Amino acid sequence: MAAIELAAEVPGESAAAAASGPAPGTSGPVEAIDWNRIEDEVDLAVWERLTGNFWLPEKVPLSNDLPSWQTLTPAEQELTNRVFAGLTLLDTIQGTVGAVSLIGDSLTPHEAAVYTNISFMESVHAKSYSSIFSTLCSTPQIDGAFAWARENLYLQRKAQIVLERYNGADPLAKKVASTLLESFLFYSGFYLPLYWSSRAKLTNTADIIRLIIRDEAVHGYYIGYKFQRGLALADPARRGELRDLTFELLLDLYDNEIDYTRDLYAGVGLVEDVSRFLRYNANKALMNLGFEALFPADETQVNPAILAALSPGADENHDFFSGSGSSYVIGRIVPTEDSDWSF
Amino acid sequence: MVGGTMTGQVLEVPPIAGAAGESIVDYRSLNAMLNIYGADGRIQFEADRAAVREYFRQHVLPNTVEFGSLEDKLRFLVSNEYYEAEVFEPYRPEFVEELFDQAAGYQFRFATFMGAYKFYQSYALKTFDGKRYLEGFEDRVCLVALTLAGGDEALARGLVEEIVAGRFQPATPTFLNAGKKQRGESVSCFLIRVEDTMESISRGVNAALQLSKRGGGVSLLLSNVREAGAPIKKIENQSSGVVPIMKLLEDSFSYANQLGARQGAGAVYLSAHHPDIMRFLDTKRENADEKIRIKTLSLGVVVPDITFQLAKAGRPMSLFSPYDVERVYGKAFADVGITEHYDQMVADPRIRKTEIDARGFFQTLAEIQFESGYPYLLFEDTATRANPLAGRITHSNLCSEILQISTPSSYNEDLSYSEVGKDICCNLGSLNIAAAVDSPDLGRTVEIAVRALTAVSESAQVGSVPSVERGNQASHAIGLGQMNLHGFLGRERIHYGSPEALDFTDVYFATIAYHALRASNRLAQERGQTFEGFADSSYASGRFFDRYVEDPAQGVPTTPRVNELVAASGWRPPSRQDWLDLRAAVVKHGLFNAYLQAVPPTGSISYINNSTASIHPIAARVEIRKEGKIGRVYYPAPHMDQSNLEYFEDAYAIGPEKIIDTYAAASRHVDQGLSLTLFFPADATTRDINRAQIYAWSKGIKTIYYVRLRQEALEGTQVEGCVSCAL
Repeated sequence: MAAIELAAEVPGESAAAAASGPAPGTSGPVEAIDWNRIEDEVDLAVWERLTGNFWLPEKVPLSNDLPSWQTLTPAEQELTNRVFAGLTLLDTIQGTVGAVSLIGDSLTPHEAAVYTNISFMESVHAKSYSSIFSTLCSTPQIDGAFAWARENLYLQRKAQIVLERYNGADPLAKKVASTLLESFLFYSGFYLPLYWSSRAKLTNTADIIRLIIRDEAVHGYYIGYKFQRGLALADPARRGELRDLTFELLLDLYDNEIDYTRDLYAGVGLVEDVSRFLRYNANKALMNLGFEALFPADETQVNPAILAALSPGADENHDFFSGSGSSYVIGRIVPTEDSDWSF
Repeated sequence: MVGGTMTGQVLEVPPIAGAAGESIVDYRSLNAMLNIYGADGRIQFEADRAAVREYFRQHVLPNTVEFGSLEDKLRFLVSNEYYEAEVFEPYRPEFVEELFDQAAGYQFRFATFMGAYKFYQSYALKTFDGKRYLEGFEDRVCLVALTLAGGDEALARGLVEEIVAGRFQPATPTFLNAGKKQRGESVSCFLIRVEDTMESISRGVNAALQLSKRGGGVSLLLSNVREAGAPIKKIENQSSGVVPIMKLLEDSFSYANQLGARQGAGAVYLSAHHPDIMRFLDTKRENADEKIRIKTLSLGVVVPDITFQLAKAGRPMSLFSPYDVERVYGKAFADVGITEHYDQMVADPRIRKTEIDARGFFQTLAEIQFESGYPYLLFEDTATRANPLAGRITHSNLCSEILQISTPSSYNEDLSYSEVGKDICCNLGSLNIAAAVDSPDLGRTVEIAVRALTAVSESAQVGSVPSVERGNQASHAIGLGQMNLHGFLGRERIHYGSPEALDFTDVYFATIAYHALRASNRLAQERGQTFEGFADSSYASGRFFDRYVEDPAQGVPTTPRVNELVAASGWRPPSRQDWLDLRAAVVKHGLFNAYLQAVPPTGSISYINNSTASIHPIAARVEIRKEGKIGRVYYPAPHMDQSNLEYFEDAYAIGPEKIIDTYAAASRHVDQGLSLTLFFPADATTRDINRAQIYAWSKGIKTIYYVRLRQEALEGTQVEGCVSCAL
């Protein structure tokens, strides 16, 4: 969190906006968004990062994973399908409810614009799981996975806990829920494709997951940062209240997450490994929200193969047998000048 | 394991403790620890060595089939159709025994987990069910040596020594396939011309299928195919241009693979002045429509000098209809020479043309390179000028290091050949520069490599594509490559791209060129035969040697450090007299191989050989490698330790200019090309890429391979203590 210092004070009118919501749709003149007047540099930095990171699942040659998919046992395939169905559900929530619900609480018009991008990319993520499904699985398998997602108690409970906050009135509580979702709740699912890829299976699927992680890392960071901006304006009592709320919500979700993990991973003997990964990411989510870590370091020793596979700044080396991986970006265009052509 | 020393890998490496004090034994985790700093802030090299040990102990040894004796083993492998019986026939059984003993005597060890894992995953012979190993590294080397030496005991012994000592490493198709009964071809890559007829296009797709099935990458020249909207049978707006052909090729390559060992892979090259050029590039756009999006096919653009000159002048560039150009000039578009005929073609009303902005074209190239890493660039006029044979260089291959002349084929209606032209194939192998510099006899090392590669070319079974077979028989082209330049420089504490590094590169490559030519000349003398077209080459006239006999600075050390290095080594750069003697011998007896050198990107083999790839800088001190078959594995830069980290700056920090300078120094002595990858941080702009392209072209670089970008993690989002993120 040290990267971007919190401003000592926030302009008063934005503070008012935080409480009452931004101008569009309310009384008074409607303001057009002016990207030449940036109130918070982080808005611009994150906007540029997110738009530069734009991607679509179609760019990844998923069908290259078919041979390794066929080496998975039926139980492993089913597990993988369920994990992806669970991730699809979370992205659906975040794309259509979560990120959208944050727009009204924006401190700046640019913040609102960033949420629209987040919202859209979450829908891209949700759709990319469908790309994975339709490439690897048969229709009954896909239907089975979605039915499972509808009926799984822990998954539904996870969704309920988060949705409750999103539908509530407290703008900062929404950001807490959103950050926990982005930085913590996804990871019980992300674990599996990272695990497969460290075993040379479904490596193109893992590329998609890394692209998603690349996005979620920025989303969690940004929403957490905006939470901290809001927290800085609050009085000590309210701060204490939000802190309690955060830890309560986290523990509530953590307990459910452990049950969810057991439900999914007990059959393959990965419960302990996934749980460590969960605690590691729970700490990261708290860090994004500006709070201290909850779990001690020796409880969060993630399997190095998974941790290393997580790194969003990819130093992967590709050859022409692989896809373009998770490291290419949309470039900044600057025309050449006469001096460049002075050969 | 008979004839190997695999148990030797299980050495006394101290156990690695995890955070909770427990001993870590999972080799994947141990290997991944390379990417995470230890508690003392140092790179955990020892964890990777432990990973090698655990990998052998837990995986390789329990899964290896044991035999009572070498004789039993070979009898079993031959009678069960794992090995080809013919490989052993020319040799005495005692010799074979001696050769395996010789190989075992070198006490070979894999230096990294990556090397060991890659070898057993991808190269070692396995039982037909894929579950157990039948070979160790030394066995594979012996089979390669026996196969390539074809009965020549001295050559077989020499090859075993060169390969196990790590000085010479054959390319993947050779190293993977040699001696196996069930196998693909030993040749690395193929280059096919496609002419402007449906028959030729069909033959092109067929070649993609046939050659992918047998291994190696295939590239196809599309410049000659008429553009979208061109007439067919004189009716306007009929042709659909090159993009649908690309889709056909992409699907063909996906379909064919070499017994599952290697997915088919292909590239297509198009002239910058082909009217479809922008459509061609747009296939790699992030938001391209599915119908035209190209995912796995590699793209290359052929850029003549005139394009740079037009951009410099701020003028538009004309795109010419290949259909019309062929009718006006009586030869295919790619063979015409756009720079030379540009003004004439612009003025000729019979040639349809459109205009685009030349600088805008270069900017688009850079944009697409940002998004996808493609296209490769081939500077055709530079490549043609540097080519010792008569004729134009019109396209390159999948890795942009093969540059040879070709001639068109023509076909009858039933797809039979009315004239078999010459297409290109090339087989590769690379020297490890650090090991070669230490060679007791560098000339012998090079000669053995040239003889081995020539043997691959002579044994190539490429009858499925007659034009390739004809080209191969005519030219015996080989590509001796180099790798581990950065590893060597780091070991010697020389900074990549420094004056000393450039001086060394110049001296080393001149020396290699000399020995390679001498070896090919000896082959020509032994066989009384030269490659087809020798008489029209600058070798025959002796002009090729002018640069060495007339310019005393070529290939001679100029810095004290390199003088020192050479003095301490067992070899000397060729003198002017050496070159004069060689010129006389070549003019008199000729050369057996039309092409001798090509510097490939060396992916897999550099891991096995413990080299840095090719002659470019390391991509990261600890590289993360993802390949379809192998997953994520971590590879530390060879020769790097805690004391010399400063000499192992990564390619992004070194920047394009020093990379280009290094390749320019080497290019002068390489008859074909060198795969040159450019590395940029993600905050680079299209202008930075364009400037690097202009610099490369002006320095005499022949091709540019991938453009690679590294995005730094947004502060606050990186993985803590990650080696590859932080560096």
